[in-house]
Amino acid sequence: MTLAPHEQLPDHDRPPDPQPVAARVRRARTAPPWWFALPALLLFAFVVLVPSVRGVHYAFTDWDGLDPDFSFVGLDHFSEMFHDADAKQAIWHTLLIAVSITVVQNALGLLLALGVDTAIKSRNVLRVFLFAPAVITPIVTAYLWRNLLGPDGAVNSLFGAMGLGDWRQDWLGSPGLALWAVVGVTVWQFAGYSMVIFLAGLQSVPREVHEAAAIDGAGPVRRFWSVTRPLLAPALTINLMLSIIGGIKLFDQVYALTGGGPGHATDTISTLIYKDAFTLGEFGYSIALAVVLTIIVAVVSTGQYAVLSRNERAAS
Amino acid sequence: MITWRFPEGDIMKTRKLPVLIATLTSVAVLAACSGGTKAGSEGGSGGSKTLTLASVDQGSIEDVVKAFEKANPGVKVRYTTSGADQYQQQIRTQLSSGTAPDVMSVWPGNGNPGATYVLAKPGYLRDLSDQPWAAKMPDAIKSVAQYEGKTYNAIFGQNGIGAVYNEQAMKKAGLTPPETWTDLLAFCKAAKAKGTPAFALGNQDNWVTQLVLYALVATTVYGQDRDFDQKMQAGQATFAKSLWTTALDKYLTMEKTGCFQKNPLGTNYEASQQLAATGQTLGIVQGNWVIALLEAKNPKATFILKALPANDSPSETIIPAAAGAGYGVNAKAKNEELALKFVNFVMSPEGMNLFVEKQGGLPSLPDTGFKADPSLAELSEFIGSDRTVPFLDQLWPNGKVQQTMLSGLQEIFSGQSTPKKLLDEMDADYKAGS
Repeated sequence: MTLAPHEQLPDHDRPPDPQPVAARVRRARTAPPWWFALPALLLFAFVVLVPSVRGVHYAFTDWDGLDPDFSFVGLDHFSEMFHDADAKQAIWHTLLIAVSITVVQNALGLLLALGVDTAIKSRNVLRVFLFAPAVITPIVTAYLWRNLLGPDGAVNSLFGAMGLGDWRQDWLGSPGLALWAVVGVTVWQFAGYSMVIFLAGLQSVPREVHEAAAIDGAGPVRRFWSVTRPLLAPALTINLMLSIIGGIKLFDQVYALTGGGPGHATDTISTLIYKDAFTLGEFGYSIALAVVLTIIVAVVSTGQYAVLSRNERAAS
Repeated sequence: MITWRFPEGDIMKTRKLPVLIATLTSVAVLAACSGGTKAGSEGGSGGSKTLTLASVDQGSIEDVVKAFEKANPGVKVRYTTSGADQYQQQIRTQLSSGTAPDVMSVWPGNGNPGATYVLAKPGYLRDLSDQPWAAKMPDAIKSVAQYEGKTYNAIFGQNGIGAVYNEQAMKKAGLTPPETWTDLLAFCKAAKAKGTPAFALGNQDNWVTQLVLYALVATTVYGQDRDFDQKMQAGQATFAKSLWTTALDKYLTMEKTGCFQKNPLGTNYEASQQLAATGQTLGIVQGNWVIALLEAKNPKATFILKALPANDSPSETIIPAAAGAGYGVNAKAKNEELALKFVNFVMSPEGMNLFVEKQGGLPSLPDTGFKADPSLAELSEFIGSDRTVPFLDQLWPNGKVQQTMLSGLQEIFSGQSTPKKLLDEMDADYKAGS
């Protein structure tokens, strides 16, 4: 539903109001009262808020997920994180993965969108193909790639067949490569997703503006930079937000491709949360990690949103 | 555009409606939730003829359930099967929320989240000491089926870790299974020279990394000192200052000698089976459970399990052999009578033989009339002559020691860590206690 309180209309659009100011103010108050949202809020509180808050309280205990007797340990888990090499490494990997995915996926997504936004004949088929990986469950694509990237997998065979034998690598088994393999697989899957959002943005750029710029003598690069780019700002905001949040929370791809290995070479905060909780039974510590993850997501995404929406306003 | 406005005079009256809706909704939500739990508990006890069961024995539990239902007409077993990881996660949640099934898979000893000690300690399992089979268990099995002197786990089978050879591939290469450490290294070199490495190693799945080490530690450490675990528990021994260093060194010597195919860290369990089944390697160091999987991948091939030698006197060789996962009864079972009946069926010669035959293991109780598969003759002989040790982690105080070992071995194989560092870390985790 659209709510349009009278006050927001520009003065000249508004019919002269015969009522005195006090009456107008009272009329404004007849906008839907906040408790209209109550059923939804209650449901949200019951399903999301209450369980989350109750969950957070375990971060301050030594609960093992099983024993009904546990004790309060205060901030121990949080200070332990600063000494836990695995946790520090996982946080670093998480940020590395999130930033790389965000940059590469959006750059690629934008290029693809520009590509399929042209008049080439097969553009509709291409759009479908490029978007297809995004509709498959990540765990499925990850298992697929786990086989493709094996020592005797299709990727290495392909390099061999092309006479590029030196390029053959143990993609998931070498600590230096495994993290990038995870980034690569994730980008492969979701570049099409970013593409679709950019495409929607591109198609909302009015043709007349382009034509006007062309008549004024702007070349394709200049037209992209001065016309398309500013008008794409909302699409960019959404894409960056989605990919950075997805990157920070990344779990399925890592777990299926490498299980966090070799050793801890690809462990992210999410895989560590899973392992600490379900293989080691350290629920308290693992929930503390989850709290930190939540804080990181909240801080990064609000920070990013603030910057991007400022740019958006500046661009428009 | 819609502008919201209530008729001014009726405002108080109209406001009551949303309040009413909100109240009704929240009541409905509450009712739905309490109704849910109630329905759940009623469904669980629905008739005394339904048993609920959660199992990790995918591929064998199906037949056992069928036989049980046949032996008890009118009884219905509602069961679920899942992989170990997923199962351990789910069973913990179910137990702590009171929704666990009547009978469930339980691992022997300690050291994983679904193990006997872990589940018996907070009182989630029913004491099974009064069941007829409890007293008949051999000591090695009893030590991991019991917690504080009471039996909680109906362990029906046992497994061993050794070198599983592909007999056709061995014949083609003209090689025979080595019986000493020196022979083993020579065997690896000869196999490599023929282009078929000796053993497939799927170290990408981190649980696989431990198997070769277990096989080597059994002879190296326990061959010298059968009381090593007691000494560890008493704080008189450490991993770093024991023959564990020698065993770990031998593992790496095997890797350097070319006993394994290339890139073990990029090879997963599935892929390693493929290599051994199709003769791209001569064998695989695994548990006996792999034989059934290899046969499924290559029905024409035959396989045999032998001890993996770790020193030069074959008479000292020991095989890691231990109780496999068994079944425990929920302390709050909704159908306790049927649950006990099922567990007793599993421990009867009929149920036990059905299970171990399907799984390719050996029964845990003597005198079941079970005829072991010829591929397991050596394992059976070692168990009979008391030349086995339990899987090493089964008597460790917590699950962390094993997890540290698993990721540490991957790190050593990828040059990120050293044997000394790993053993020190394992000692630190061991000392942290339960």
